[in-house]
Amino acid sequence: MIDEIRKIVAERLNETDDKGARLDGMVALRRTGPAVAPHVFVAGDDLSTLEINPRYPLMTVVSRLHKRLPDIRLGVVARGCDERAYVEMAKRNQIDPERLVILGFACTAEEALECYCAEPFPKNLVVGTPAAPGPQNPIVAKYDTMTLAERRAFWKQQFVKCIKCYGCRNICPECFCEACAMEDKAWVEPGFLAPPFPAFHLIRAMHMASRCIACRQCEHTCPAHIPLTVLYDLMRRDMEALLGYVPGADLAALPPLSVTLEQTPLLLGDAHDPATIPLAPIGR
Amino acid sequence: MGVEFEPKIVAFMCNWCTYAGADNAGVARMESPSNVLPIRVMCSGRISPEMVMRAFRAGADGVLVMGCHIGDCHYSTGNHRSVKRMPLLRNLLATVGVNPERLELTWVSAAEAPRFVQVTHSFTDKIRSLGPLSQEVAE
Amino acid sequence: MNKLIIDGAEYQAQDDQTILDVCRQNGIEIPTLCYHPAMEPYGACRLCTVEVIRHGWSNLHTACTHPAWDGLEVKTQSPAVYDVRRTLMGLFLSRCPHVPVIQNLARQYGVTEPPFATDDPDQKCILCGLCVRVCNDLVKANVINFSDRGIDRQVGPPFLEKTRDCIGCGACTIVCPTGAIDIVLEEAGVYAEKPLGPTAAIYVPSLQAVPRVPVIDTDSCIRFRQQDRSNGKIADACGVCQTLCEANAIDFDQQDEILDLTVGSVIVATGFEMWDPKKLSQYSYGRSPHIITGMEFERLSNAGGPTGGQILLSDGSKPKRVAIIHCVGSRDHNAHAYCSRICCMYSLKHAHLVRDKTGAEVYEFYMDMRAFGKGYEEFYERVQEEGVTMVRGRGAVVDVLPNGKLRVKGEDADLGKLLAVDVDMVVLSTAIEAPHDADKISALFGLGRTADGWFAEAHPKLRPVETNTDGVFLAGCAQGPKDVPDTVAHAGAASAAVLGLLDRGEVVIAPTVAEVNRDDCVGCGDCLLVCPYTAITRVEGKAQINAALCKGCGTCVATCPSGAIMALHFTDDQIVAQIDGVLAWA
Repeated sequence: MIDEIRKIVAERLNETDDKGARLDGMVALRRTGPAVAPHVFVAGDDLSTLEINPRYPLMTVVSRLHKRLPDIRLGVVARGCDERAYVEMAKRNQIDPERLVILGFACTAEEALECYCAEPFPKNLVVGTPAAPGPQNPIVAKYDTMTLAERRAFWKQQFVKCIKCYGCRNICPECFCEACAMEDKAWVEPGFLAPPFPAFHLIRAMHMASRCIACRQCEHTCPAHIPLTVLYDLMRRDMEALLGYVPGADLAALPPLSVTLEQTPLLLGDAHDPATIPLAPIGR
Repeated sequence: MGVEFEPKIVAFMCNWCTYAGADNAGVARMESPSNVLPIRVMCSGRISPEMVMRAFRAGADGVLVMGCHIGDCHYSTGNHRSVKRMPLLRNLLATVGVNPERLELTWVSAAEAPRFVQVTHSFTDKIRSLGPLSQEVAE
Repeated sequence: MNKLIIDGAEYQAQDDQTILDVCRQNGIEIPTLCYHPAMEPYGACRLCTVEVIRHGWSNLHTACTHPAWDGLEVKTQSPAVYDVRRTLMGLFLSRCPHVPVIQNLARQYGVTEPPFATDDPDQKCILCGLCVRVCNDLVKANVINFSDRGIDRQVGPPFLEKTRDCIGCGACTIVCPTGAIDIVLEEAGVYAEKPLGPTAAIYVPSLQAVPRVPVIDTDSCIRFRQQDRSNGKIADACGVCQTLCEANAIDFDQQDEILDLTVGSVIVATGFEMWDPKKLSQYSYGRSPHIITGMEFERLSNAGGPTGGQILLSDGSKPKRVAIIHCVGSRDHNAHAYCSRICCMYSLKHAHLVRDKTGAEVYEFYMDMRAFGKGYEEFYERVQEEGVTMVRGRGAVVDVLPNGKLRVKGEDADLGKLLAVDVDMVVLSTAIEAPHDADKISALFGLGRTADGWFAEAHPKLRPVETNTDGVFLAGCAQGPKDVPDTVAHAGAASAAVLGLLDRGEVVIAPTVAEVNRDDCVGCGDCLLVCPYTAITRVEGKAQINAALCKGCGTCVATCPSGAIMALHFTDDQIVAQIDGVLAWA
């Protein structure tokens, strides 16, 4: 697979489109010695150092390049989650779709399993064959039966580990804000770890409601091994049930929380009487 | 045990409907519970999840979010955003084990002074029966 | 300019005028039957015959067809003229002995009995052909004409049979001098749907219309009907109003227009609707023609109404007993809880009208008499003195008895007894309510509505004409039930508020607007989607707020993930301080 990707990247970098334009570069991972880091390959580069592992949110790099170099046209070697990240970022003007070519490859079945990934391949699939979706996260799968007390107990022992390193935010391709609510002292008390009310994590979860594309980068990054994607998977589930919105699925779909009920109606309950809007199941 | 638990309830009210409704309740000498601590904002759409969480963090046992009925919003569609945000936040509270009944979104118009009184009473009673939030979080 | 002498006096005339024109213009009376100002003169009836002297020669001519030449001398009253007209009227009277117009004219010329034998005493047509000319020249329907000759000559449609070409415009019946033509309505309901009373195709929509100019009802207007019927081929039918209008104000080419106006303020004066008494079945509305609403009573009592202003039952007789029931749909928790304010006084007026016009006994069922205005109490006392029986208590039920009479039952609270009165007519003083489509207006202008459906004013005491939407004001019943003086006062206040704005030339906006900290903005555009006022635009990739458009709702503030927008006077810090403050205190 990696050889095929390298070959296609080489071809793409040398191709000209119908207007005679070439890609200015291809964003991918590069191995230098023992380390792997994002890199912009240009035509003529040694592509034997191009890597696809470990997983890294390359769209963050694309976004920065697009913003700093307003004319640059890039390609990117992307997984399914990278492409979904692109959808939510492009929707919010962080990536210019006109200046990006996605060269997608499919994740392996093992990776899909590891990530509990429901869609382990991009729509712009160029290399590889789609693997079967991974299973649901087992904690998420049994969540409906957990009582409030059980949930509380579960998260208490998770959140207590949090050192507020902001790694989850920093790695997230969808956390592209200039200023962060989690650093605003109005919302998250500075100087306290694991405050009794988990505002830090809840604020991030709310901000992810229409953005989280389930790439699992936050959870992989977390030094405290907090199962953050359980929180976000449940948020994604509630979002889809209430507003029919699946982040990353459709570039044309407007962010549902920002538009009116006419544009994106509630799928559950009656907005005229909020008491009729049902909660997700809670174990008794 | 001793003193009976009296909940603290932060009520975010929009300026045009609920706040006016609350005002009218007062003018009409209707009694609403003193547990309810009103905070006026211009529109229920101004009420962010962060504000709700801050209220919980700062010691509220329940949070009421109140605005104009759908279709009556002074800003035409501000409350459309509340009715999408708040149910998601309720679910999120439930996800981390906070009783979602501690957060309630409801519409009270300027003309509904009796409804304001009824909503605040019943919410206060509900939160009183749930007990303090601190108990729940620090369990 | 022509000069001519008529009956010894000199008059001036235009080239295109006839002798009849000049006479009519100067008030010289000349009788006519076949003349109509909207049509070419024809000289059929000869009744306008005058003596015309030119170059010393005297001749008898019809004034309607003779040009008003320069130097003519005209005698309209000479013995020769009188003789001719007398002869003509004798002939007309012999043909149509029972037509009042003919009888009167004949009498003026000394003819009281038909000088000749009468063929058909019911004959009304004098064969002047005015109807033929109207139908063919004006209406352009070409439906009627003469047929046969000599003594058999008659007027009618082809073969004297019914014809589908007749558009039923009625122009022939209107112009016929002797009333010889009737239109027989074959389709019931065609006219029944039209407003009762005299209505032309061109009319002033209401006496209070501003500007007070007539409108043309294109559904009834002959010109438009002919255009539709002939797919535009007959584009110039009728036009009588245009011909006759001296100000030249009739323009058939005007179209309905939807005006797109840019305005600085709006007064919402959408008024009220009458509540439908069918919603409370105990009043039996619709089960008898004699159970009518106050509004229907007004129509009945109107001089322009179906009975010419007489208060009559459907059989044409006068009612002997009338009940008037107050608060139908008002002050009733099954309908509207509020008082409609206008009904007490109009009910008293109705009682007065019934007493005045019919002398019938009037029973007025009322709960309280709300005679709150200036002079109202005095009117109440006057109506009592006119012999109206006041029953304090709601009229509860109206039953239609088998003999068609109506039985009103209710409690007389003063007597503490149940009461039943049999009457001929019941007038229901129905409530007024907010228009059924008020929700559309409210959505359009962002207006609040009170629980009873009326538009909400900004403050019930201090800002009664303002709304919570800047620049939008309320006048009259749009805000709540009002009688005429209150409506005029309210509307005056609204106008003054608007004029104040116009005069100032600038508006003061609230300082509670949102502001972007551009350093923190990442340009995601969520705020642009949120803003209902399009106050936010993206400038150089970042959000920018137009403070004049921003209304300060703060929804963008709560939406911005980056915390880059600040709601002035409702900042996060201020709200947090309040949250902490109220909780610390409590």
